[in-house]
Amino acid sequence: MNQMVSAKVLEYRGKTLNFTPEDPAEAKIPAEELHEHLQKPSTARTKRLKDRCRWKHASAGEFIEKSVTAGIERMRYLTEAHKASVGQPEPIRRALGLANVLNKSTLVLQQDEFIVGYHAEDPNMFPLYPELSHMAVQDYLMSDYSPQPASEAAEINEYWKPHSLQSKCQPYFDMKDLGRMYQVSSMEAPSFASGYNSIVPPYETVLEDGLLARIKLAEKNIAEAQKVMTTFPWNGTTGLDNIAKIDNWKAMVIACKAVISWARRQARLCKIVAENFETDPKRQAELLEIADICQRIPAEPSKGLKDAMQAKFFTFLICHAIERYASGYAQKEDTLLWPYYKASVIDKTFQPMDHMGAVELVEMERLKISEHGAGKSRAYREIFPGSNDLFILTVGGTKADGSDACNDMTDAILEAAKRIRTAEPSIVFRYSKVNRPQTLRWVFNCVRDGLGYPSIKHDDIGTAQMKEFSKFSLNHNGATDEEAHNWVNVLCMSPGIHGRRKTQKTRSEGGGSIFPAKLLEITLNDGYDWSYADMQLGPKTGELSTLKSFDDVWEAFRKQYQYAINLCISTKDVSRYFEQRFLQMPFVSAIDDGCMELGMDANALSEQPNGWHNPITTIVAANSLVAIKKLVFDEKKYTLEQLNQALMANWEGFEEMRLEFKRAPKWGNDDSYADPIITKFYEDIIGGEMRKITNYSGGPVLPTGQAVGLYMEVGSRTGPTPDGRFGGEAADDGGISPYMGTDKKGPTAVLRSVSKVQKNQKANLLNQRLSVPIMRSQHGFDIWHSYMDTWFDLKIDHVQFNVVSTDELKAAQREPEKHQDLIVRVSGYSARFVDIPTYGQNTIIARQEQDFSASDLEFLNVDI
Amino acid sequence: MEAKNVQNQPHIEVGTNKPCRTCKWQTPDPTDPHRGQCTANRHAMGGVWKRWLRDVENLTCSKHEEGKLSFRDHV
Repeated sequence: MNQMVSAKVLEYRGKTLNFTPEDPAEAKIPAEELHEHLQKPSTARTKRLKDRCRWKHASAGEFIEKSVTAGIERMRYLTEAHKASVGQPEPIRRALGLANVLNKSTLVLQQDEFIVGYHAEDPNMFPLYPELSHMAVQDYLMSDYSPQPASEAAEINEYWKPHSLQSKCQPYFDMKDLGRMYQVSSMEAPSFASGYNSIVPPYETVLEDGLLARIKLAEKNIAEAQKVMTTFPWNGTTGLDNIAKIDNWKAMVIACKAVISWARRQARLCKIVAENFETDPKRQAELLEIADICQRIPAEPSKGLKDAMQAKFFTFLICHAIERYASGYAQKEDTLLWPYYKASVIDKTFQPMDHMGAVELVEMERLKISEHGAGKSRAYREIFPGSNDLFILTVGGTKADGSDACNDMTDAILEAAKRIRTAEPSIVFRYSKVNRPQTLRWVFNCVRDGLGYPSIKHDDIGTAQMKEFSKFSLNHNGATDEEAHNWVNVLCMSPGIHGRRKTQKTRSEGGGSIFPAKLLEITLNDGYDWSYADMQLGPKTGELSTLKSFDDVWEAFRKQYQYAINLCISTKDVSRYFEQRFLQMPFVSAIDDGCMELGMDANALSEQPNGWHNPITTIVAANSLVAIKKLVFDEKKYTLEQLNQALMANWEGFEEMRLEFKRAPKWGNDDSYADPIITKFYEDIIGGEMRKITNYSGGPVLPTGQAVGLYMEVGSRTGPTPDGRFGGEAADDGGISPYMGTDKKGPTAVLRSVSKVQKNQKANLLNQRLSVPIMRSQHGFDIWHSYMDTWFDLKIDHVQFNVVSTDELKAAQREPEKHQDLIVRVSGYSARFVDIPTYGQNTIIARQEQDFSASDLEFLNVDI
Repeated sequence: MEAKNVQNQPHIEVGTNKPCRTCKWQTPDPTDPHRGQCTANRHAMGGVWKRWLRDVENLTCSKHEEGKLSFRDHV
């Protein structure tokens, strides 16, 4: 067994640096089990809650825990309401559907929990969404996770076929094009086929106003609109607009009343259990306290931290799981909760508690999210292996005046994450040079404990981007310069506005993926996919014999890319067209100040454009282009035909040739040959072509390079590539990360390469794996801090870290039952390592573990 | 590489009693449950090189094995 820290020393600026653990007790912990010793739940209660947490992690399309299945109640009650509301305006039908689900669904109350509420009839279940994609529900019906009774579920799915978003959108496309998208090899399937979605709920209005105030606003707006319609002289050119507005406001009222009633049902349940069943006086009192909170919240404004956490969780359930499915946990949690932290912890005016009370509350919140079930389609049960869904919140950054936005709530959130050690929710930290040191230390503590989060985003870049997108606002009400500081990650990588209005409400605005590695593969085969689907996958862009120069290859790729990205964005906008006509979100609309003011549905109103799409596997394509240029066109060692012959044979019989292509210059080494080509690839094609497109909101669409688990899925659907990769091998694991194991020149060479890509980008994910002994040493924080400041100065958008040893990862592969607490950063999310397929685990082990040399420390100007 | 023999490649046999649907190497298509993915093609480096299956009820091959693989053995 290896010891955690080697006797490694480094000579630097005349000093001998020893990398012994900062905590001497760690020296006795074997490297193979370090992460099993790091959790420290703040209370016995949160330890119990973690021990009995009903995880719903999925991998390879399957749920890891055997007891997890789909529930039927949501689809049953939604369908019942849909049938009963024929003839009524569509927004009102949607509100009545939500109300029927909330009024009739079974409530769940679990032992020990303080934050209550669930979105299915059993804590091992999750709801389905037949109104979105009947194919996605059909997959569940054919799986081990089918809702029961299966015959009723099948009948419901059949009912929705003509009414679903999928059926509304499909007729506007050629099925040949859609068939190409459904394979998820060159393009992600459109959201109308998968049902996948994301949102940034305007939590602020619920916590600050309460829903009763939102109802009053809507009722006032209805009264005013009706007055306009009866005022002389009637003007038909504007007066008729009030019809749709009145319908929307009425739907908002129905939705808000239903949510209040649902919360109060939870209150009654807690009271009944406390008064009739609970024997422990302490828990009895607690249940009565929860009952009091749910009676007031979210009807009224929150007054303390417990109120705010519960109001936030109810809002999350409605916006992400009940009114419509949406992935994500987007919020600026420290800013959002700060007034309530201040009231409870500092001023002690309501729900008084100490700082550790706040930490315990956040730990309980993390466990509620950890057992949240998502009724995702199979594609999304494959591509976030080891997690239940993408839950990502944001902290840190700067306020409107540019000052530090960190506060004691930020620290409570980070401390809770470090103590309880769950993969979800992930955290994004907006890094600015004005962030206070004590919070940076908490960020570092989480990173070096191997949580894989916070992932770090550049505060200035995100803010500048919000200002840039604001210029395209169709109603000239995009983010102001001050509001541009109010941004969070919508999902893994892309920033978007948070607050009372102007937030992103649907993934048809931004999201979805395109896969350059597969596009390059078919570029070399005139658009034909020989390696996975055996069909024409893109336009005919020229047989190999017609590609006489590197420019010919480059331009043929461009045409494949143009075809694919155009299709991706047009399917999103067609989804948007039908979302606002048949998938209205009256509750989300009610809590958005813009929708409330204008009487519009949340899918329809776009004030702040936020167009983005995710190129994934870009580096495999880019490294391949470099190798083609060098070995085929510059040095003329091989012809394209010879290359193609080797690829068709999966390099078998061509090993020497493969090694030459493998040894061609690669991204991430500050290489003077590779980097200009790859930089041009990002800026001219990946970003340059994408930004020519204008989406529904009137703004450009920009690339947000990342990977989730698609670097594995798409890798397994991509044949051998000219970078020396075998068919089926994983692709690159981040939007701009070097290919695993090919960044040989150290961590600062990676930063120098990545910093070269600046133009036409929205975001790019950079995965780095850092040395465990260095990060856990007394010098760890100083080195990391200098690294981060250098990263900031180089204007790099993002970085995230794995800090875990190969020994420990391999030990977990051998004995998974002993490594339940080992968390790794996969791509834009963290996962429990033992819940990832072996294929994926191996890709994480293969990542280059970056050591720091004296010259790296000099470049970072580390002051030790 | 194995010789390209139609029997060891997924091929149409209408009404086969060994359809890809029941094969342990098959996993459903990510989007359309009436189609599938074959994961039998694995190489020494640990990669799983998938093949798309248009019609999981009527495609078969000589590698057909009844059963279901653990998530650990898929992608």
